[in-house]
Amino acid sequence: MSEIREIVDLFDGILKDKKLEKYTYTLVKSEKQELNVENDEFKLMRTVFNNYASIKVFKDNKMGNASGNDLSEEALKKLADDGVSAAESSPEDPCHDFAPDQGKDVFRQGIYEPDMDRFIERIKEFLAAVKKEYPQVKVMQAIGSYDRNNWISRNTNGTEFEAFTGEYSFYAGVCASDGEATTGIDGAGFTAKDLDTPFIELGEMRRCLDSISKSIHPESLEGKFEGTVILTPGCAENFLYMVIGNYISDGVVIDGTSMWLDKVGEQVASEKLTVALKPYDERIVMGERGTQDGFRAEDVTLIEKGVLKTHRLGLYASNKTGRPVVKNTGGAMVVEPGDKSIDEIIASVDKGLLMSGFSGGQPGANGEFSGVAKNSFLIENGKVKGAVTETMVNGNLGEVVKNIRAISKELTCSGDSVMPYIAVDGIIVSGK
Amino acid sequence: MLQDILQKEKELFEDGVQTVLRGQENRNRRVVILKGNIVQNSRSESRGINARVGKDGLFGFASIAEYSEEAARKVLKAASENAALLAHHSENKGIVLPPSYGSGVIPTNRDIVDAEQKKIIDACRTIDAYVEKKYPDLESRTVVYTEDSQDRIIYSSDAYSGHLTTPRCYIYVMMSAKTKEGAPVELFKALGGYGCFEDNFADLEQYYPEIDQLYKKVMDKKEGVYAEAGYKTVVLGGMMGGMLAHEAVGHTVEADLVMGGSVAGPNLGKRVASDLVTMIDYAHTYNGETAPLPVYLDDEGTKAVDAELIRDGILTGYMNSRETAEKYKMKPAGNARGWTFSDEPLIRMRNTCILPGKNTVEELIESVDDGYYLIDSGNGQADLTGEFMFGVTCGYEIKNGKLGRALLDTTVTGVAFEMLKTVDMVSDKVEWSSSGFCGKKQPMAVGMGGPHMRCKIMIGGR
Repeated sequence: MSEIREIVDLFDGILKDKKLEKYTYTLVKSEKQELNVENDEFKLMRTVFNNYASIKVFKDNKMGNASGNDLSEEALKKLADDGVSAAESSPEDPCHDFAPDQGKDVFRQGIYEPDMDRFIERIKEFLAAVKKEYPQVKVMQAIGSYDRNNWISRNTNGTEFEAFTGEYSFYAGVCASDGEATTGIDGAGFTAKDLDTPFIELGEMRRCLDSISKSIHPESLEGKFEGTVILTPGCAENFLYMVIGNYISDGVVIDGTSMWLDKVGEQVASEKLTVALKPYDERIVMGERGTQDGFRAEDVTLIEKGVLKTHRLGLYASNKTGRPVVKNTGGAMVVEPGDKSIDEIIASVDKGLLMSGFSGGQPGANGEFSGVAKNSFLIENGKVKGAVTETMVNGNLGEVVKNIRAISKELTCSGDSVMPYIAVDGIIVSGK
Repeated sequence: MLQDILQKEKELFEDGVQTVLRGQENRNRRVVILKGNIVQNSRSESRGINARVGKDGLFGFASIAEYSEEAARKVLKAASENAALLAHHSENKGIVLPPSYGSGVIPTNRDIVDAEQKKIIDACRTIDAYVEKKYPDLESRTVVYTEDSQDRIIYSSDAYSGHLTTPRCYIYVMMSAKTKEGAPVELFKALGGYGCFEDNFADLEQYYPEIDQLYKKVMDKKEGVYAEAGYKTVVLGGMMGGMLAHEAVGHTVEADLVMGGSVAGPNLGKRVASDLVTMIDYAHTYNGETAPLPVYLDDEGTKAVDAELIRDGILTGYMNSRETAEKYKMKPAGNARGWTFSDEPLIRMRNTCILPGKNTVEELIESVDDGYYLIDSGNGQADLTGEFMFGVTCGYEIKNGKLGRALLDTTVTGVAFEMLKTVDMVSDKVEWSSSGFCGKKQPMAVGMGGPHMRCKIMIGGR
C-alpha cells in the first residue's frame, strides 16, 4: 500500500493546477479480511480492498465537501471539481475552518502484518470453548476481522499526518435455548493488537456468555417500582454516549437546546463520576491521532468528579458559539473506577436490575428516556435473581449521572473503551 | 449510470460452483441546515466490483474499489481463494448448490439523474425560510437533505442477471420547542421518497401542509404529558403499524435468524396473530402501483417476487436466501441484498406491510375509552423472541373515544406473536414509509407499511 504517497502527490498537483487556495483532504487505502460464522460454523470469508478520498474546499468563506473511493487521476480531478462546486453553492459562513499548522507526523499503531492462520485458529478455539463450557449457547453470528489502513491527511495550513494502522476485531452475537425456549440475542466484542489471549477471555465475552446461558426462562415483572439499576460496562458506555449527545455535543450547543448549555465548571453529576476520552491511553488499541478538524488529537476529560469540564465541540461549533474547541473527535471512553467490587455493589441493592442492554427510543432533548431492559436480571435483597422479560426502565439522563450510587473497581477493557459497572438509583422499573 | 463492462467476464466463472459478479455504485448527497447555518454540505460516491463464489454451504467473497475488467478478474480469483481457504479450515458441509428457479435478464427499471448541489441547497433553504418566517416561535429548526442511490449490474452463473437502480431522496424537517418548564421537545417529518431530486422536489409547496401539520404537533407536544406506564389499549397509527411489521415480525421471519433460533421456527403453520392480520414482504408492486422501494432482482440473481409471511393470522413463510429456501423447502423470493459494492448479500426485507382491514381510523379511536393513539416512531428494535421496542415520538391520550393531551416521548414494548393476537380492529388504509435504514451488519434501505390497528401493548412512562 506504499503507492498512497504517490497518489497524494498526484492530488496535490491537481489541486495546484486548479489554483485552489484553501483545502484539506484525506486519502485512505484500506484492506479487510473478515471471517463470518453463522450458527456455530464458518460460513463466509470476505476480503475488501477499499479506498477513500475526501476533500473540503474553502472559497470566499464558503465550504464544500466531496468524497469518493476512486483514486484514479480522472476521479481525483472530478472530486476536486465537486468540492469546488459544493463550496461555491454554499452560503458564506466564516465559522467553517480547519486547524492551524500542526506540523508533520507519521503514526504507527497496531500490527501491520496479520497472522491470519492464527486468527482463524483463535476463532475456532472460541467456538469450541463456547460449545464445551456453555452447551446451551449458540453463536448465531460471529465476525472476526483484520483491518489495515494507510492514510495521509494534508491541508493548506501545512499539516501532514500519515498513519499505518492494523488491528484485529471480533464480535460474537449469541443466544441460548432449551427445547423450544429461546433467549433473545446478546453480544460482545473487542479490538486487539495481538492474538496472545484466548478470545473468550477478552472484553465482556465471559460476562455475556454467563448472562445469556442464565436467561433461557425469563419472567415478566409485575407492577412498577423505583429502584437501583446496575449498568454493565457496555451498557454504561452507551448511556454515557447518550449523555454526551444530549448535553454537550455540537448540535445541541449550536442550537441552544442543551440542558447543560451554561454548566461548564458546575457540578452536573455525582462526584464519583470522571469521564474522559483518551485516545493515548495504553489500554486503547486504535486511538485517534488526527481529528476530523485537522488537530493533533488530545486526551480530554469531559466530567471530572462530577464537574463538567468542557462541552465536546468541534471547530465549527466552537467558532459558531465562541466556546473552546476540543481536539478529539470521540471514542476511547475511559471512566475512572470506584472503590467497591461489583459483588459489594450488588449486595447493597434492595431492589433493582442488573442491566446489560437498553433498547429504547432516542432520548428526548430534555434527557427523558424510556426503553426495554434487555439481557437483564432482577436484584432483590442484595442478590441477583432470575432474568426478566418485557421490563421497561424510565428515567432522565441528567438524573442518571447525578444519582450514581457506586462505580465498580473492576474495569472492562474492550480495546475501544475502559469501563466499570455503574449503579444508578431512582430508575422507574415497570413490568406488565 | 454504470457502463456494463462485466458481461464477458462470465467466461471466467468456474464450473461446479455458484458465482455472482456484481458491479455497483452508491451515491450520497447530504446537506444539513441547523437554525439557518449550513453545517454539512457533502457529496460522495463509492464504486467497485465484488464476486461471491459458493459451494457446500461455504462462500468466498471479495471486492475491490475499482470498476474495471481487471478488477472483475481479481475479485473472481480472490473469492475462489477465500472459499478454498474456508474449506481448508472448516468441516462444514452445507447444501452443495441450491437451485436457482429460473434464469434470464431482468430489464433495467429506471435511470438515475444527478442534481447539482446548488439546487439541493436552494431547496433546503427555501424550506428553512418557510419554517423560519411562518413559525418564529420555534426554539430551533433543522432541515436535512439526504439522498442515496444504488446502481447495480449483476451477472450470475445459473440465475438471473440485470442492471437495476434504486434512487431515493428526502428532506427531513425537524422542529424544536420548549415546554413551560424549559425542557425541549422535538418532532421531525420526512418528505420525499423513491426517485431522484426532480421527481420529489420540483414542487416544494406541495409539502407545506405537512410542515404546518408538524408545527401543530410540536405545539401540542410542548404541552404534552408523560404516558402512564402499563399494559394499555392503544390505536397504533400506520407508521407504527409499519414499524411493527418490520421490527417485531419481519426480523423474526428472516430465515437466517430462524436458523439462529428465532421464535418463528417452531411457529410455522401456527396462529401467531388475530385473523385480521395478513403480512407480506412486497418485492416491487403494491396494489398495482410501484412499491415504496421496488426490488426487481436480488444480489444472488433471484428474480424478486412477493413473500407471504402471515395469512389471516397464520405464519405461512419466511424471507430467504437461495440456501435457506432450500433448507426450509421454500422458494427464494429475492431477499438477499448487499448495501454497497463491498457488502455480501444478506437476507433483508424490502417493502414489508400489514394489509388493511375494514374499519375507519375514526372508528378505531371512538372505540377506546381510556388508552393512547400512537402516531410516529423514531426508532425500533426486536430480537429473536419477538420482543420489540419502538420509540414513540408523537402520540395522544384517548379518553372516552376522543383525542386528549399530546404525549411526551415514550417507548412501547411487547412480544410480537402475543401482541398481534390482541389486534381486534384494523383500518382500511395503509401508510408507507421508505426513508429509514435497517441495520443488520450492513445498512439497507427498506420500505415498511401498515394500517391503523387497535391492540394492547406495554407502554413506558412515569
